[in-house]
Amino acid sequence: MTPTPPAPSDIARARCATGVCLGVEGVGDDRVEVRLTCPEVAELARPGEFCQLQVGPGPVPLLRRPFSVCRADPEGGVLAFYLGVVGEGTARLAALRRGDRVGVLGPLGRGFTVPDPPATLLMVAGGLGAAPFPLLAQACHRRGVALAWLNGAASAGRLYPAERLGAPVASHCATEDGSRGARGLLTDILGPLLATADRVAACGPNRMLAQVASIVAEATPRVPLEVSLEAPMGCGFGTCLGCAVPVRAGDGARALALCCRTGPVMAAERVDWSRLLALPPAHAA
Amino acid sequence: METVSGGAGSPGHPVGFDPTVAIGRGLTLPNPVGVASGTFGYGFDLGALCPVDRLGAIFTKGTTLHPRPGNDPPRVAETPAGMLNAIGLQNPGVEVVRRDYAPRWRDWAVPVLVNVAGGDIAEYVAVARRLDGVAGVSGLELNISCPNVAGGLDFGIDPRPAARCVAAVRAATGLPLVVKLSPNAADVAEVARAVVGAGADAVSLVNTVVGLKVSLALGRPVLPGAGTGGLSGPAIKPIALAQVARVRRAVEVPVIGIGGIRTATDALEFMVVGADAVQVGTATFTTPRAALDVLDGCQAHAERHRLCAWRDLRWSALG
Ligand SMILES: Cc1cc2nc3c(=O)[nH]c(=O)nc-3n(C[C@H](O)[C@H](O)[C@H](O)COP(=O)(O)OP(=O)(O)OC[C@H]3O[C@@H](n4cnc5c(N)ncnc54)[C@H](O)[C@@H]3O)c2cc1C
Ligand SMILES: Cc1cc2nc3c(=O)[nH]c(=O)nc-3n(C[C@H](O)[C@H](O)[C@H](O)COP(=O)(O)O)c2cc1C
Ligand code: FES
Repeated sequence: MTPTPPAPSDIARARCATGVCLGVEGVGDDRVEVRLTCPEVAELARPGEFCQLQVGPGPVPLLRRPFSVCRADPEGGVLAFYLGVVGEGTARLAALRRGDRVGVLGPLGRGFTVPDPPATLLMVAGGLGAAPFPLLAQACHRRGVALAWLNGAASAGRLYPAERLGAPVASHCATEDGSRGARGLLTDILGPLLATADRVAACGPNRMLAQVASIVAEATPRVPLEVSLEAPMGCGFGTCLGCAVPVRAGDGARALALCCRTGPVMAAERVDWSRLLALPPAHAA
Repeated sequence: METVSGGAGSPGHPVGFDPTVAIGRGLTLPNPVGVASGTFGYGFDLGALCPVDRLGAIFTKGTTLHPRPGNDPPRVAETPAGMLNAIGLQNPGVEVVRRDYAPRWRDWAVPVLVNVAGGDIAEYVAVARRLDGVAGVSGLELNISCPNVAGGLDFGIDPRPAARCVAAVRAATGLPLVVKLSPNAADVAEVARAVVGAGADAVSLVNTVVGLKVSLALGRPVLPGAGTGGLSGPAIKPIALAQVARVRRAVEVPVIGIGGIRTATDALEFMVVGADAVQVGTATFTTPRAALDVLDGCQAHAERHRLCAWRDLRWSALG
């Protein structure tokens, strides 16, 4: 099985476009999906890539915010983003009304590998980390790749509904309050699921990803893992050099890579997890 | 003066309008709107998001003698109408710039000025010497004012070391030399006079303003180390305007205004207080073609007001 690796991040594919809001749909508790008409970007976006969304005319807030592409329908020219309100920018996006215009810069970054069939891909999503998986699930399904889904969240209302993935999945979940699935963290039930997977794709808080990486690293036979990382971003297109994340160079030496260009999706073994975890959380600002 | 495409008499301008800006030593910018160091890489990153051919100038990322990996993350944090950065001069080193980048700049219509940084005077001189006479390099911008390199001397805040640094670099290169001033100096006008006396052909200002953002939740600054970074964006525009006006009165050489420019109005305001040209920085991060939009707006203004030169905008009190 030689999976097709994602094409490297290529700024020539990015468009600086304006989307028009089609609506903001509530998804469970405190989560929304923002749908935009944005044909230029919808026809280009691939699983795991992200867009820099403009959250207002500025200068406060000043910077665009990065969001994974949740859905992209090239025929209808529609893009969707899945988000929760964590600050001013996300509050503004969640309050968009039909017809409002939103700056969309993308697609950006390097996305997930879509495996070649026959294969089973296990998708692991913590909280808002569910965002990139509908697009990935649909791309895999179209190719004949089988899917398993492991979702963890604080409570049942915060899980991403599996039926919204748009592809059949073997579904598993964990909630911290035990309101659905296993009580606890998704990492508590990850181990046994690896036996049936040929490949794993994960997205969620960096701390969760580190645990997923350490569990996957111990599994035999070895299962390739890709993770989608987060970093504070100034530009999203490789110019400000602001989004460095610690990685291991070929010889294991300390190095840094740009999350927006080399990532956000990276092979787990490339990430320097201990240095990454030593950093203060990006959103603690 | 060089003949420059898009120069005097180009369509859309009143007869006799000259959009070019002379910097000195034979360097003339085709128009006054450039892109600022550290916000446009080496001119290759943005592709079609901001075509480079109509820009007035590209000021590259700060370049040192050897490659530098930059600071540990986090490196950027948003603040009201601004952002802090502590990139730490991540760059590939002057050898890569000279060997791989300069040949690609040779055919560009836009002049590329390499922003030079260093930990001591010897490093500035070594970088300048390696760029001297390299085809594709139109000039140097000496960054004597980077606040983000731990242990790095801030030559820019004191007139005497600033002048020593500039004099040493001046002796090492025949390239047009722009010296970038720090807004963190006690008296920016004194530093400006000193660097012009030491051989600067022009000055640019401002670099970022030292700032700090606190995370109450973490009980510490957001950025690592001492917690400080360089503040840029609209928040610093009034500071930059004040310093440009002050420097304009102090020196005769061309002044390039920088700080929070997002619109043509912002850029024209800098010209009113004495800037001959401007650089667009942080605005490129949110609007990749911001500099081109600023240029278009400035040209429309010139046309509307039938300017003969950008100088016509200058506040009369500045002479
Ligand atoms: C590649 C990538 C993809 C992302 N995809 C999604 C997604 O699909 N859905 C979703 O809900 N969130 C996603 N995020 C996180 C999202 O960008 C932040 O939650 C958002 O920027 C917060 O903005 P705010 O104004 O609401 O919060 P504020 O806290 O006011 O933001 C202040 C600053 O901090 C930065 N910041 C805050 N939180 C984060 C964070 N967690 N990660 C990185 N930077 C942060 C912002 O960029 C901003 O500059 C993604 C982040 C990255 C890097
Ligand atoms: C991310 C970032 C990196 C920068 N790097 C450099 C640099 O390497 N050398 C330099 O002289 N100035 C650097 N600057 C300063 C800018 O060139 C400019 O002086 C400053 O940002 C103010 O302009 P602005 O408000 O338009 O951004 C950097 C600024 C930012 C935001
Ligand atoms: S966000 Fe600017 S380089 Fe990655």
